[in-house]
Amino acid sequence: MDNIAGTKSSLNWAVQISVILLVVIWLIPTVGLLVSSFRDRDAITNSGWWLSALPVEQNFAVKAEGEPVSKDGVNVIEGNVFGEGSGTVSKFGGRRAAPDAFKAGETAELTKGRTLTMQSNGDYVYTSPAEIKRAPSVYFAAAQPPEFSMVNYETIMGSANMDRAFINTLTVTIPATIIPILIAAFAAYALAWMDFPGRGLLIAVVVGLLVVPLQLALVPMLKLHNAMGVGQSFLGIWMAHTGFGLPLAIYLLRNYMVGLPRDIIESAKVDGATDFQVFTKIVLPLSFPALASFAIFQFLWTWNDLLVAKVFLPSNSESWVMTVKIADDLLGSRGGDWGILAAAAFISIAVPLIVFFTMQRYLVRGLLAGSVK
Amino acid sequence: MSPIIQGLLTIVIGVGGCVGYFYASNLLLDKVIFPVQSKNPGKNINRANMVRPWLFLFPAMFALTLYLIYPVVGSFYRSLFNRSGDEFIAFGNYVSLGQDPGFRTAFLNNFMWMLVVPAASTFFGLLVAQLTDRLKWGNIAKSLIFMPMAISFVGASLIWRFMYANNPDIGLLNAIRFAMGATEALDVLQVQFWNNFFLMVILIWIQTGFAMVILSGALRGIPEETIEAAIIDGANPFQIFFKIKVPQIMGTIVVVWTTITILVLKVFDIVYTMTGGNFGTEILPSYMMSYMFRDDGRATAVAFVIMIIVLPVMVWNIRQARAEMK
Amino acid sequence: MTKTYLTGAMALALMSTTALADGHLPFAPGEGAFSWDSYTAFAEANDFSGQTVEITGPWTGNEKEKFDKVVAYFEEATGADVNYSGSDSFEQDIVVSTRAGSAPNLAVFPQPGLAADLASQGLLTPLPEGTDDWIASNFAAGPSWVDLGTYADKDGNDQTFGMFYRVDLKSLVWYSPEAFDEAGYDIPETMEDLKALTDQIVADGETPWCIGLGSGAATGWPATDWVEDMMLRTNSPADYDAWVANEMKFDDPKVIAAIEEFGAFARNDDYVDGGASAVANTDFRDSPTGLFAIPPKCYMHRQASFIPAFFPEGTVVGEDADFFYFPAYAEKDLGKPVLGAGTLFAITNPSDATTAFLEFLKLPIAHESWMVQGGFLTAHAGVNLETYQDDSLRAQGGILQNATTFRFDASDLMPAEIGAGAFWTGMVDYTTGKDAAEVAKAIQERWDALN
Repeated sequence: MDNIAGTKSSLNWAVQISVILLVVIWLIPTVGLLVSSFRDRDAITNSGWWLSALPVEQNFAVKAEGEPVSKDGVNVIEGNVFGEGSGTVSKFGGRRAAPDAFKAGETAELTKGRTLTMQSNGDYVYTSPAEIKRAPSVYFAAAQPPEFSMVNYETIMGSANMDRAFINTLTVTIPATIIPILIAAFAAYALAWMDFPGRGLLIAVVVGLLVVPLQLALVPMLKLHNAMGVGQSFLGIWMAHTGFGLPLAIYLLRNYMVGLPRDIIESAKVDGATDFQVFTKIVLPLSFPALASFAIFQFLWTWNDLLVAKVFLPSNSESWVMTVKIADDLLGSRGGDWGILAAAAFISIAVPLIVFFTMQRYLVRGLLAGSVK
Repeated sequence: MSPIIQGLLTIVIGVGGCVGYFYASNLLLDKVIFPVQSKNPGKNINRANMVRPWLFLFPAMFALTLYLIYPVVGSFYRSLFNRSGDEFIAFGNYVSLGQDPGFRTAFLNNFMWMLVVPAASTFFGLLVAQLTDRLKWGNIAKSLIFMPMAISFVGASLIWRFMYANNPDIGLLNAIRFAMGATEALDVLQVQFWNNFFLMVILIWIQTGFAMVILSGALRGIPEETIEAAIIDGANPFQIFFKIKVPQIMGTIVVVWTTITILVLKVFDIVYTMTGGNFGTEILPSYMMSYMFRDDGRATAVAFVIMIIVLPVMVWNIRQARAEMK
Repeated sequence: MTKTYLTGAMALALMSTTALADGHLPFAPGEGAFSWDSYTAFAEANDFSGQTVEITGPWTGNEKEKFDKVVAYFEEATGADVNYSGSDSFEQDIVVSTRAGSAPNLAVFPQPGLAADLASQGLLTPLPEGTDDWIASNFAAGPSWVDLGTYADKDGNDQTFGMFYRVDLKSLVWYSPEAFDEAGYDIPETMEDLKALTDQIVADGETPWCIGLGSGAATGWPATDWVEDMMLRTNSPADYDAWVANEMKFDDPKVIAAIEEFGAFARNDDYVDGGASAVANTDFRDSPTGLFAIPPKCYMHRQASFIPAFFPEGTVVGEDADFFYFPAYAEKDLGKPVLGAGTLFAITNPSDATTAFLEFLKLPIAHESWMVQGGFLTAHAGVNLETYQDDSLRAQGGILQNATTFRFDASDLMPAEIGAGAFWTGMVDYTTGKDAAEVAKAIQERWDALN
């Protein structure tokens, strides 16, 4: 007995450690995005996100804009690189190409007899034998404390019509999640538990349709919607999402339902229950985990969908969903702004994650096992 | 009317309409067309049961026909025409695909994707599902591994730029290489052949969560008795897993595998945003997208090649379905 | 330091949005150096209250905001509503919506090639009669703008479909005046000087160029601009036109030589930041930031007039950054060729208000009201140049006018499979080491397969 317990606990440790390892590996990329979403574009390109919590030695340029005064035959500008603020200069230089050539406190000999002296508190003295026509730049290196801000999030959340876009997204996703599940559940039941000619063929067709690329259907469907008078509207996009989501819904649900215990269903039928009753009273409750997992997937897809929303909804800002708003309105000319992109990605995953966390206990509870016993 | 109320109203009408159809049509069938309380109840029940499957299937079949089958048929017809769509060239588009080295690269790459991504995602998904099964904090671990599923493909591509970028101040991979003594940055997306695997990692990272959710549901569904019996027989955990659990959830594994395979044949976003199909990383969906809306004849021909590739998967599924029904 | 700039920019953005939200025009009629007379006349002659003009185009974000302000003047004058929506994937969206029959009234095409494509499928409506004559006589180099907007319709007849609005100048090299000043570099006047300067910078132990071709699915396009500029600097304009029309084959030695001229810069590890291998995958939006790094990662960046939008926040064009004309060879005697591009309006769904909007675009105010916001060049000859936001833009306008040869971006004119496909990927292949002749041959084969 001791022996078995021993292997069990060591195995348990191995399990714990490997799960931790897997989770960490899976998390690293997302953490990178999360950290970057609190940084501005310049900080992102200046230092890696994994170093963002540490102060970074960064080079700066400041224009020596003080009024030149003539002293002992040379022109002098005095000032402080930090202006009103404060900081610590570690190195400095007089040329952009060599911004950290001298240590703080030294005097740098520049070209044409010019000199620059900078103290670690930022005070500098710039001298030139010739007249200073244009404010020269002085360069210095200073440790930049880590800086995180909500600016990226504010930019996105604060942009006009964002609340409208959020509501639009919900208006699109909720029916586009529930309707296909309802339709698919009935079809899946028919394919799993009802006997009729052509059943095998229909299953094959459903699997085949899984692979149909959405793009093929866009033009003919929009044409059809226009002809039917649906046009570009919420009704149109629900229908489109329903059509595109159905094959997978039917496929997943059928495979789940077919695994339900045969004796329960058959005994119900023997007792005189109709198929409709069997479906609503027995199969539907038993299939809840499958319904919930598919609901989550369908919700995620419609939530993150950009293509269908752009084709099937009108293109005015009144009916923008969040993905369109972010992609076309916010990112467009900011394509290079990784901070904004990262924040946008996080805003768009917030709601799906909440949905997942509230639904996940249904996913893994294994309702089936309980009900059989 | 405030948009919130408008939204809610539409939700209620949409969902209510759906429920209403099934309820009303079944009521109609049982009470009006083939009433049980009639002269010939047995015959009527049988008749009603002949019709009912189609009642159940009708909305789904209607939507599928309209949204998928009709465009597929139309597209197939289109694929037999030339670029501008005014000249019938039979299988000319397919022939020229076969001659295009770009298509061959995409085809071979896609083949690798089909082998690696579903296998790896299913493997990791199963691994996580099994390991976290009895863990106290298993649900937290699962949620974290599921998280990539919630991120859009564009967001995911951005995330992986922070991993792969060749600037060691942005890309973690190169930063690690530098820390280990490398002196020159390496753009992993430009390393011929291997870059394909770096792209696959992204999809595996996303899809493991999908596999895990479905498979952990299936694992929980295994009757306790079979496992208890095996423990009494002295089976070790590995034997229980491979000999008892895996065979019992084989059907679910097929489903997960199939779904991810099909996703591999559809997802162009990752390649599109990470490399634009350059550096020899083109796959069929992204190859198709580069023709879509420009040369529709060719784009639709690629779509049909993709559908042909999926045939074996279809056959496998039908067999599995037949076996289950017996 | 960055912080103050940031809040400043944000305050500005806030101010402008509130101004728009209140329904006020950015500049009240009668104020400033704008051409108000024609606008007032237009306002009196047109009333389209209750009508809506739907427009889609490629301008998003900050550019959309600027265009919305232009549009406000049309709305004020006519009472019509204008609904502009911009999209990053405009090229795909417009094809879907025109084919499906839910097209907007007007579309703003970033490439003539796509407009020509749609025109040949009968999805565009020709501009109102006489518009071509008007463009010919009112735009600088008018007839060439008419040609660029004239395509074959469904029946093969040439009609004018496109009216250009907003021009981009491509032959520009951006640099930091301060960095040049401190290092003692002079602005090169000829291509020979530019190459000498490049070597000089290398000799000084620095890196001369930042080049980035990355652009997601469109990766490679910045290289096509380089090659086009090189074509114009090594060959006659007639050769360039023949190349665009594929009368001169893509694998012609002249084209291959131009590609190799580009390679002389991009494929030299000493010349480009990060080495030649970094060129292909560095995002074009990130690459100019190297100019402003301390110490500089590079000294020069060849890119079109729109690139300041991607400079680090707070960069002042004219002070922190400036440009010079990408020079021509002195020895070749090809003058001062200039490469440009532009967006054009075309009618996708005609209406009276739509026609009026095109009339509005003929007014100087439609151009001036964007010129004053920056990031806009125009070929309209009747505008008051004083309204350009800054000297830098005025100088770009000057380059446009002093050009002895103006040519439109070739890749925008080629069929989409080439100009927005094979040419892009071919250039990526070339920068990552493939042979120029091989790449050119592959592109020509793609082109042959089109016909």
